[in-house]
Amino acid sequence: MYTLRDLDADVIVLHGPSGCCFGPARLLEKEGVKIVTTAMSEDELIFGGERKLSATLRKVDELFNPKLIGVVGTCASMIIGEDLRRAAAEAGVIKKAICCSIHSASGDNTLGAVAVLKEAMEAGLVSREEYSRQKHALEMAALLERTRGTARAEYIPGSPGDDPAAVGSLILRTLEGGGEVACVLNAKKETAFLYADLFLALADAGFGKSGSVHFVANLDPKIGLPRIRSYSEKILQELSARGIEVEVITGGLDEYPISGERAREVLFDIRPDLAIISGIPHAVAVEGKLRTVAVSAGRRAASNLKSLGYDYVVNEEGAHSASLGNRRICKSILGESIRGLAGGTQ
Amino acid sequence: MRSVAIYGKGGIGKSTLASNIAAALGEMNLKTLLVGCDPKADSTTNILGRRVTPLLEVMRSNKNPPVESFLFRGVFGVYGVEVGGPEPGVGCAGRGLIVGIGHLLGKLDIGSFDFVIFDVPADILCGGLAIVVKEGYAESVLIVTSDEFMSIYAANNICLGLSSLKAPSCGIVYNKATPRGKRYVEEFSKRVGIPIIGSLPYSEELRWADKLRKTVIELSPNSGISHLVKSISLSLLRMEDGKIPDPLSARELEEIFQLLTAESRTCGCSDESS
Ligand SMILES: Nc1ncnc2c1ncn2[C@@H]1O[C@H](COP(=O)(O)OP(=O)(O)OP(=O)(O)O)[C@@H](O)[C@H]1O
Ligand SMILES: [Mg+2]
Repeated sequence: MYTLRDLDADVIVLHGPSGCCFGPARLLEKEGVKIVTTAMSEDELIFGGERKLSATLRKVDELFNPKLIGVVGTCASMIIGEDLRRAAAEAGVIKKAICCSIHSASGDNTLGAVAVLKEAMEAGLVSREEYSRQKHALEMAALLERTRGTARAEYIPGSPGDDPAAVGSLILRTLEGGGEVACVLNAKKETAFLYADLFLALADAGFGKSGSVHFVANLDPKIGLPRIRSYSEKILQELSARGIEVEVITGGLDEYPISGERAREVLFDIRPDLAIISGIPHAVAVEGKLRTVAVSAGRRAASNLKSLGYDYVVNEEGAHSASLGNRRICKSILGESIRGLAGGTQ
Repeated sequence: MRSVAIYGKGGIGKSTLASNIAAALGEMNLKTLLVGCDPKADSTTNILGRRVTPLLEVMRSNKNPPVESFLFRGVFGVYGVEVGGPEPGVGCAGRGLIVGIGHLLGKLDIGSFDFVIFDVPADILCGGLAIVVKEGYAESVLIVTSDEFMSIYAANNICLGLSSLKAPSCGIVYNKATPRGKRYVEEFSKRVGIPIIGSLPYSEELRWADKLRKTVIELSPNSGISHLVKSISLSLLRMEDGKIPDPLSARELEEIFQLLTAESRTCGCSDESS
């Protein structure tokens, strides 16, 4: 569904029970995508629900006059073998529909994204090269999550991470003592709007141009779908308006496993006294070799990063939902701590 | 209350047998219920003399339909209900059965019947279609088979399902019985440990009655085939608890056919003479 948003779909129709729609709708509607459900009931499970789907699609077409509609399956509709394309054809919207017959029991959660991209390629919305690049990045992401992410163990108990103020003060002390700090953004898509706040916070604390901070980020404005590129562009503009120049661009916002590798090489070149890695830190495998601060979202992610061996871990709780719907850099927990410890902003 | 579910290969005669047994029980003045579980909804036609609107169809417009809207009384006072289900190729028949039977048993005091027969579509294919056995709605399973390999193969699959569900079978009915094929079914019965409780030969009367949407019990009560059906009905009525079958491996199954065919060759008794 997020991939459909990246493709700038106007409406996403979820073919399934209404409950499957509730969670994703709340998050994605912030991004301006309309989410609609066919609200399958027991009757449709038994007798089939393609007719209801095509009726819903017809209504959506009438109501919103969309340019691009995403049609997405759920466990319920896929188990009984519903044909999304047939329903879209029936409703006369097949030309502007991207149908994704993947459900939650299909396997890795990247499969759905790949399936959508494939459909988009076949519809001529995405080039073959772009499809291959994203597919590769998604497969790397799935692999990364299984080997170093929270999918590497059956159960990871949550942990709150370190006190953001303590970590903030460590960063400031390092800088004030003349140490070199690398601030690495290795984020996934829209979450960059939150993690980029660390760059601004360091600038607010007076270390934006001193040369002692190396800014490294996966903000290549020439990689990815137009929507994703525009994120990078906007963030780079905002940073440069504050006088921050990113020293090394490691890749695009939709390829964190690949940009993470690149960031690792960059860090080994710089050999900073302290490396702050935000977004998906476990994609930047420098723990144990450098002194590290990992900044990521969620209690399970925090405890995973600790056990991987990152020295300090800050939990940016709620980073994803906070970054959704944003087109400007938004305040982060660690960023605010740094600003506070540095004596506030004028 | 006694109850059986009838399972067997597609087209083997489950519905014919179910309706005739139901009529035979009804004729004995037993309060009998025949539950058609096939989306085709053709199990009760011989009892009711017509096709009725299936429960799931009724439930599409009324989620809580009254008993009179789906339960009908037919020949010999036998009650019939069709659960129904989707057209071929869409939806989910198994889910339909789960929902339909659930509602049926919620509405109907099943304990007030003397005998309940479930006529189930083909073999146990998915969790939904196995519901009748799994949830113990039917206390045991009656397996219908002919002496054809594919039919016995299907019977063995049913045994596999029952053994994994730990559900008992009360017996096998050998349908379209022939003198030649008897040994195959007998051998199968011996190996899986489930007795043959009756045989029906190929019968034009049975076929004809089916065409007229009637049972032979009604149409020709004194015919040989009627008596054979009544005998099976009495066996069911008086049956002991069933037994969980010991299913055969694919190899064992083929062995039955190979061994017996070889035997008949070496002892000089050709298939024709047996
Ligand atoms: N002993 C028999 N002699 C002659 N014809 C028979 C006999 N048993 C069944 N038939 C005929 O075989 C055909 C199929 O029977 P029936 O519909 O009962 O099978 P079924 O197992 O219920 O099939 P399905 O799996 O499709 O529900 C019918 O035309 C029926 O009249
Ligand atoms: Mg039948």
